[in-house]
Amino acid sequence: MNLPGLKGKVEVVYDDLLVPHIFAENKEDAVRVQGYITAQHRLWQMDIATRKAAGRLSEVLGERTLNLDRLARRRGMVFAAENDILAWNKSPEGMRLLEAYTEGVNAYVSQLSPANYPVEFKLLNYAPEPWSPFKTALILEAMAETLCAGENDLASTNALAQFGRDTFQFLYPEWNPKQRPIIPDTGQWKDWKVNLPPLPAVGTKAGESANGSLSGIFDADKHDFFQNENPDDDYIVGSNNWAVAGSNTASGNPLLCNDPHLNLTLPSIWFQIQIHTPEQNCYGVSLQGMPGVIIGFNENIAWGVTNVGHDVSDWYKLQWADAARTKYSLDGEVREVQKRVEVIKIKGKTDLLDTVKYTVWGPVVYDHEPENPLRDCALRWITHDQPDPKVIDVFIFLNAGKNYDDYKKGISAFDCPAQNFVFASRSGDIAITVQGKYPVRAPEQGRFVQDGSRWSNAWLDFIPAERVPAMKNPSRGFVFSANQHSTPPTYPYYYLGNDFDDYRGRHIYDRLDRMKNATIDSMKTVQLDNFSQRAADALPLMLRLLDQNKLDADGQKMAAELAAWNFHYDADATAPPLYEVWFDSCYLKTWDEMTALRAQKKQVLIPERWRFIELLEKDTANIFFDHPATPQRETARHIVNESFAAMQNYFRQNPQKRTGWGQSRGFVLKHIGQIDAFSRLDVTVGGHGSAPNAITRTHGPSWRMIVELGEKVQALGVYPGGQSGNPGSRWYDNMVETWAKGEYNEILFLASAGENSSRIMGKQTFTPSSK
Amino acid sequence: MKNALYLSLSILILGNLGHFGLPWWSLVPVAALAGWLFPLSAGKNFAFAFAAGLLLWLTNAFLLDAANGGLLSAKVGVLFQGLKSGYLLLLTGIFGGILAAFGAMTGRLARGAFVGEQAKR
Repeated sequence: MNLPGLKGKVEVVYDDLLVPHIFAENKEDAVRVQGYITAQHRLWQMDIATRKAAGRLSEVLGERTLNLDRLARRRGMVFAAENDILAWNKSPEGMRLLEAYTEGVNAYVSQLSPANYPVEFKLLNYAPEPWSPFKTALILEAMAETLCAGENDLASTNALAQFGRDTFQFLYPEWNPKQRPIIPDTGQWKDWKVNLPPLPAVGTKAGESANGSLSGIFDADKHDFFQNENPDDDYIVGSNNWAVAGSNTASGNPLLCNDPHLNLTLPSIWFQIQIHTPEQNCYGVSLQGMPGVIIGFNENIAWGVTNVGHDVSDWYKLQWADAARTKYSLDGEVREVQKRVEVIKIKGKTDLLDTVKYTVWGPVVYDHEPENPLRDCALRWITHDQPDPKVIDVFIFLNAGKNYDDYKKGISAFDCPAQNFVFASRSGDIAITVQGKYPVRAPEQGRFVQDGSRWSNAWLDFIPAERVPAMKNPSRGFVFSANQHSTPPTYPYYYLGNDFDDYRGRHIYDRLDRMKNATIDSMKTVQLDNFSQRAADALPLMLRLLDQNKLDADGQKMAAELAAWNFHYDADATAPPLYEVWFDSCYLKTWDEMTALRAQKKQVLIPERWRFIELLEKDTANIFFDHPATPQRETARHIVNESFAAMQNYFRQNPQKRTGWGQSRGFVLKHIGQIDAFSRLDVTVGGHGSAPNAITRTHGPSWRMIVELGEKVQALGVYPGGQSGNPGSRWYDNMVETWAKGEYNEILFLASAGENSSRIMGKQTFTPSSK
Repeated sequence: MKNALYLSLSILILGNLGHFGLPWWSLVPVAALAGWLFPLSAGKNFAFAFAAGLLLWLTNAFLLDAANGGLLSAKVGVLFQGLKSGYLLLLTGIFGGILAAFGAMTGRLARGAFVGEQAKR
């Protein structure tokens, strides 16, 4: 097989899982072939992912995706990708590799005839396009949109205005004292001098908001803000990773584990690959459109990532200086918005020209929606910034890393979306770094919608790289993360986090803390652990408040079933469906003050679940347990009993839901294009967002990896999908059952192209084009 | 009856040109050529061409499906209102039959129009 641009011969060995093992004479050839092969197996996925990020879905799908496209454009996704390219161009070496990858993709695309297009192109009737580095930037921005776009600015602002300062702090504390931060305080930051920006004025009484001038403007009477919100899906994306030092393992070798929890789709977001060059021998999962391995290992090191919860997305309320909203005031000076015209092509219609206004803060996202409460606000989002030019090399560099220093050096340019990079080396080091770029915030800065007329509210500085939380070889013998708070409140920089309950983190800590002589098998039991610390905290409190003697026979049976539950969300357990409905009912009935406001389309933050459980434990007479609509004063006991009756009623009306948890909750593994014929809707699995095995209806562990860094690396991995993106291939979904059963595939980590293994299916040789 | 045999055989054999890079609709000109070269009555022309086209596409669809272990046809069947694999193959065959029949009919009529020769009984 000829591949233009190659410098030498490249051999590709395919194993029985259709994993390509690339053996190249240099890095550039390796990524060129990686591009070719990725396109060969996942071309439509690459296309649709970049279309979604770039707001170009309507071009092929018609008007039904227009709103999605407009939002992508208006949130500055294309703007951000353009800034990536500006930065990457300053890294010629990295750019050269990205271009080789691009040419590899395009070598595959250009030889395709319509008859050979992936089936989705045929069904949707359009043709594949050439790849470009810009599209790689779009893939990165799509990850940023998934991982670091979270914020509660409006909901917090409204809650503060509604309840006043004291109640607000009571309902929404930022630190759960029971949680285990990623990096504990060991005195490492006690001598730091930190200059925080000035504190904006904050109201103290009900009716006042974060900033006096902003009061009362965020009502959205008609705006349908909640059409997609489902209180059952409290957990969206997250991940677990950890590394155990040799001192705590049976073999004395370090172990590293990672399972990123993402939207589970077919084809899967990940593609397994091995890349061997004279400088490296690396194996792991790659992202479509990106050269190198994102999560994986080589002979010397292993690494994995989880998402950092830091809020890096803020809204600023503009003070318009003219009626046309094209000028705004900043520190008394009038500035003009910069207009960027987005041309959105729509299949079968004329193009939509959408003008997006850019301010010093960023784009004014919602000014095309008159009813939108954020209509006059601009979005300040870290991913719009030009990244560190070296970010383009991060994974390429890491793939060839040999030790702790290479790891630190490699990830140092990675700024967004911030990730907890866990690390282990064969030489015995373990480490974790909360890697990313974070604004230095005054306490509570960015928690609320901010006044955009004052530059003092801006992100004026960023946490210096050497002060970003990190830890190496702690005496406890393990490092871990589960999206929880990076640090305890003693860390000198203010942590504004997006609410992750941290129950996974607490339980993983408990498991690893107790574990001596850890093995690959014991690592499996942690990744597959269905135990929910949240349920273990909440259910005994609920049962204590339940008047069991007043229940009918069926109710008593349910209560007994719940009391006997071991808090494991196993697929066949019948108690979890009861508990879920009961708990959700308690939770929502308690916060009826907020849900009532939400019903009026006013976005108000609902307290986190851990805070609710804490009140259930310590403050059962709290005023929030009272229903404002009833004359008598309710307490937690009323809520718990009322909700139990509601739960009984629910199962009377939905008897089919009273079955095993896996069946009752349901699970869908959808095709990316939502084509049911190409989806797997027949899989039953346990797990829960608050358990380490964080499977929800649509999300879950998208790649389970366990690596033991011994003399010879031993590794296991599995994802719910298959290597091929072709729905007609037997490798399209061949790992789904393995994953669902909690089994793993042994990873075939070849030392050379000539190595023998019964698992090798075939070989392909790429040679430089003769012309 | 000889012409009927020739017509059927030429569609069955030349219809496979599609495997060598020609588009799927190459079946139509192939059938038209056969219809021109081997004159038959309207009924026979249609019936034999249809049978040959059906057999050709049904066989090919069956072979492709067998090679794929029936994976794709099962999924595409779901796309078509839950059609079973077998029916999908049959449908493919019927399409082949219709295309071949219309092609052959075109060839036959063209010959009538340009050469003016009466179709044989």
